[in-house]
Amino acid sequence: MPRASAPTRRAPSSQLAPLAARRPSPVPLLPQPLLERLLAVAMERGGDFAEVYVERTHSTSVVLEESRIKSAQTGLVQGVGVRVISGGKVGYAFSDDWDEPALLRAASTAAMIAQGQGSERAFPVSRVAVPSHYRVPTPLSDVEVSLKASLLTRADQAARAFDSRVTQVNGAYADQTRRLAVANTEGRYTEDTQDLCRISVQVVVQGKKNERRTGMYGGGGRVPFTHWATFPPEEVAREAARQAVATLGAVDCAAGPQTVVLAPGWSGILLHEAVGHGLEADFIRKGTSLFAGKLGEKVASELVTVIDDGTVASGRGSINIDDEGTPGERKVLIENGVLKGYLYDSLNAKLMGQRSTGSGRRESFRHLPIPRMTNTFLAPGNHHPDDILKEVKRGLYCATFGGGQVDISNGNFVFEVSEAYQIEDGKLGRPVKNAILIGVGPEALKNVSRVGCDPQPDPGMGVCGKNGQSMPVGVGLPTLRIDNVTVGGTQVG
Amino acid sequence: MDYQKLAKKIVQRATKKGAHQAEAFLEVSRQSNVRVREGQIEDLTQSTSKGVGLRVVVKGRLGFAFTSDFEPSGLELLVDQALKLAEAAAPSKLNGLPGAKELGRYGDTGDLYDPAVANLPGDWKVKAALEMEKAGRAEDSRVTTFNAVGAGDFVSEVYVASSEGMAGGYSGTYVYLYALPVAAADGQLQKGYWLDYKRFLADLDSPESIGREATRRAVRMLGAKRVKTQQVPVLFDPLVTASFMSGVARAASGNAVHQQASMLASLQGKRLASEHVTLVDNGLLSRGLATAPFDGEGVPTRRTPIIDRGVMSNFLYDAFTARKAKARPTGNAKRGYNALPTIGTSNLYLEAGTTPPEQLIREVDRGFYVTSLLGHGANPVTGELSAGANGLWIENGELTHAVQEVTVAGNVLKMLQDMDGVGNDLQFRGGTVGAPTVRFRQLTLSGE
Repeated sequence: MPRASAPTRRAPSSQLAPLAARRPSPVPLLPQPLLERLLAVAMERGGDFAEVYVERTHSTSVVLEESRIKSAQTGLVQGVGVRVISGGKVGYAFSDDWDEPALLRAASTAAMIAQGQGSERAFPVSRVAVPSHYRVPTPLSDVEVSLKASLLTRADQAARAFDSRVTQVNGAYADQTRRLAVANTEGRYTEDTQDLCRISVQVVVQGKKNERRTGMYGGGGRVPFTHWATFPPEEVAREAARQAVATLGAVDCAAGPQTVVLAPGWSGILLHEAVGHGLEADFIRKGTSLFAGKLGEKVASELVTVIDDGTVASGRGSINIDDEGTPGERKVLIENGVLKGYLYDSLNAKLMGQRSTGSGRRESFRHLPIPRMTNTFLAPGNHHPDDILKEVKRGLYCATFGGGQVDISNGNFVFEVSEAYQIEDGKLGRPVKNAILIGVGPEALKNVSRVGCDPQPDPGMGVCGKNGQSMPVGVGLPTLRIDNVTVGGTQVG
Repeated sequence: MDYQKLAKKIVQRATKKGAHQAEAFLEVSRQSNVRVREGQIEDLTQSTSKGVGLRVVVKGRLGFAFTSDFEPSGLELLVDQALKLAEAAAPSKLNGLPGAKELGRYGDTGDLYDPAVANLPGDWKVKAALEMEKAGRAEDSRVTTFNAVGAGDFVSEVYVASSEGMAGGYSGTYVYLYALPVAAADGQLQKGYWLDYKRFLADLDSPESIGREATRRAVRMLGAKRVKTQQVPVLFDPLVTASFMSGVARAASGNAVHQQASMLASLQGKRLASEHVTLVDNGLLSRGLATAPFDGEGVPTRRTPIIDRGVMSNFLYDAFTARKAKARPTGNAKRGYNALPTIGTSNLYLEAGTTPPEQLIREVDRGFYVTSLLGHGANPVTGELSAGANGLWIENGELTHAVQEVTVAGNVLKMLQDMDGVGNDLQFRGGTVGAPTVRFRQLTLSGE
C-alpha cells in the first residue's frame, strides 16, 4: 500500500555538500558484449522491446540501543533482471547468479512471453552520458563502519543530555552504494551510482504518573559522509528529544472538522499521499485513480502548485536516471490548482501514447519498474508563516508528522500528526496527542487557503511503499493552512 | 548444490579464521507470479533467489554480513567482512549464539511442503487468474477495472548451521491468489480486495470465490459518505482485527518490554481484557504460513499465549533478549538472510469466540462496522491509536450505507478492556496473522 513512513521537520543541509570532482567511472558491471548478447536472447522469440537491468548494492547498517552499538552489518546484493515486452504483455525473469549460463537462462525465460519464431537479430547498444545531481566522491561503502557507529554514540549522548526524563534512545544508521546499469533494445545503455545514507533517532521520555511520550527525527540524502559535519547527529537527537518532551502532558485531541496549519518540511507527505500517488500512470491507465481523466481540470485551490523533481541536488529521492535508464526530470503536476500531468514509466507511457517522465523506479532487480515519485514539493506562496498562524482563531497547529497512507480509488488519505498544538486566538496553546488528519485528496487541496513563503524540503528520511516495493523519496512544503479538515481524535463535543 | 553442507562450510571457514562462534543462515527460493488484465496476461515473473547471512562472535563482539554471491571469492569476502565488523564492535557478555540448552528438540510442525504447489504448472496460474477476473466482473457490472488480478507460487528452503551444534533445514511451499477490483458509480470509485495465501493447494479458496468476494467488497463501499462525530460501538472485521492484534503483539516484544518502551511493560500477570480474549503466537500451527521447526537462529518454535483468557501472560523473545531479560527464548527470532534476527511473531491469532459475527452486528443499535484502516496503527509505546477508517454503518442491528473519510481513535489498552464481543469466524486471510470479528463497546469516531 502506498505509504510514506518516518518522521521529521526542519531543514537539511544537503545543499551544503561540497562540490568535489566526480569519482572516476568504475569498471562496467557487466561487459557490454554480454549485455548485447542477453538482449539478443531476450528477443529471440520476437518481443517488441527488451531491457537488461544490472544492479550491485553494498549496504551498511548500524543499530544503537541502551547506549550501546547493538549491531553493525554489511551486505552485498547483486543481480540481473531481464524484461521483455510483447504486445503489452511483460515477461520478467531475474537471477542473482552472475555466471553467463544463469544470465542467459533468465533472458530466455523472459523471452517466453513472446510467441514468435526464432530470430537472431543483434541489438547493439551505446553508452549514453547521464546528468549528475549528486556527488559522493568517496563511496559510502568505503567509509569505515566505526565512523558510522560513532554518529549514533554521539546522538545517544546528546539525547540523554537534553533532558533527564529521556529513558530510551534508539538510533539507526543505514547507507547503500548502489550501482546500476540499464541496456535496452532501443540501443540505450546507461549507468549510475546512487549513494544514499540516513540516520534516525527515536527517543522515549517518561513524565509524571508513568506518562510516556515518543519523539523521532532523522535525515540524510544522496550525500557524502562529510554531510554529518554540517548536519550533526547531535542535532538530530536533540530534535527527537525535544518532540518527546514537548508533548508531555498533551491533552486529548478534539474530534471533528477544524482549521489546521501545517509546519513546513516533512509535512510534504500530505502532497505525496493526497495527490502524488493518484497521479502515477499505472493507476491512471487502469482507471483506478480518482484523478484519471481529469487533465486540465481544477483539482486544487489556485494557491496550489505541485512539482515532482528528480533533479534536486543531493535529494533523497533524486535520480540521475530512473531504473529504466531515463534521466530524472522536474515535472509540474498541478499548476495553480489545475492538473497538468502524470508520472510515467516507459511501459505506461508507451501504452498511453506519452513519453516517460523518468518515473520508472524499482526497489531492486527482483522487481518490475513502476511509476513512482522522486522529490515532491509544493511551490511557495506569498504568506508569511507568522501571519498564517495569527489569522487562525481556533484550530490545530501540526508541528511534526508520523507517516501517511492513501486509498487512490476513493481518494481518502490520512496523515499522522506526532506533535500538535491547539491554536487559540492566533497563538499556540496546549499540546494535543493522538491526532490524525483525514481527507479526500482534491477536496482537501481545494480547502488550502494560505501558502507560506517558506518552502522547506524534509531532512531526507522518507520511505514510500507501493506494491511491496520500498523507495527513498523526498517531500517538501511551505507553511500551509487548510480549512475544514477532519481531525481524528478522542474528545467529542 | 548441497546447501546444508555449504552453510556448515561457511561456519567452519569463519571459526578457522578466528570466530569464536559462527552461524550461517541460508535461504534459497524460486517464485513465479502471473497477473492478468482484460482476459490477457499482463505480466509474468519467474525467478530464483538465494543468499546467506553470517553471524560471528569474537571475544564477545558481534559481526554480521550477508551476500547473494555464492562464488568462493564471494563467500571468502563474506567471512572477512563479518570478522572485520566484529573487530570494530563493542564487546558485550550477552552476545552469543544459542547454545545446546536453547537449541533443544523441535516440536511437530506437520507438513510444510506440498508437491502439488512445487510442481504447479504455469498454465494453472494463468487460468486461475483469468477465472478470478471473469468472476469478479460477473458478480457485479459496476466493477469497471482492476488494480491487479494475480496468482503465484513460492518455494523456499532454509538452512541454519552454527558452531554451537545447530544444523537444520526445511523447505516449504506457498501458493496465492489475489484480486483488487475497482467499482464505479455516481463519480465515486471504490476498491475491493480479497485474496488467499496457503501452503497447500487443497487449502486454497477457489479462484471464482476470490473474484466474487473481492467484487462484493468493492461494490458495497459505493455511495460511501462521512457520518457525524460521535462515540459508538465499533466492530472490526477479521482483517482489521488482525492488523490491530499485530500492534498488540509488537508491544509484546521482549525487547520493547525490557527497555520499558512498551505499553505492556509492567503488565505481566495483569488482566487486560475479559475472559474471552486469548491472543496466541504459535510457530507450530498445523499448515500455518509461518510454521517452522525452528526460528531464525535455530531455537525450536512453540505455542506462546501472549494474552491468556484476558491476562497478559507472556512476552516474545529471541535468544539475545531472553538472556538480557533473564527469560526463556520463545522461538520468535525472525529474519531473512540479509538481516540479524529481530523479535517478531510467527503465526499470531486471536482465538475464536462463540458468537456468529451477524449476531455481534445485530446486538448493535447504532454503530460502525470497520472493513479497512488507513495509517500505521497504534503507537506501541503509548498505546495510542488514531486511524482512518472505511466501513459500513449499523442501524438497528443491520448493515446500512457505506462510510468513508472518518477516523477511529482510542487507546489500545482501553480498547482491549472494552472488547465485549469476539466472533466465531477466526480466519487467516493472506497472512500470518489471523483473527475473528470483534466488537468494542465504544470508540470515538471523527467525521462531520
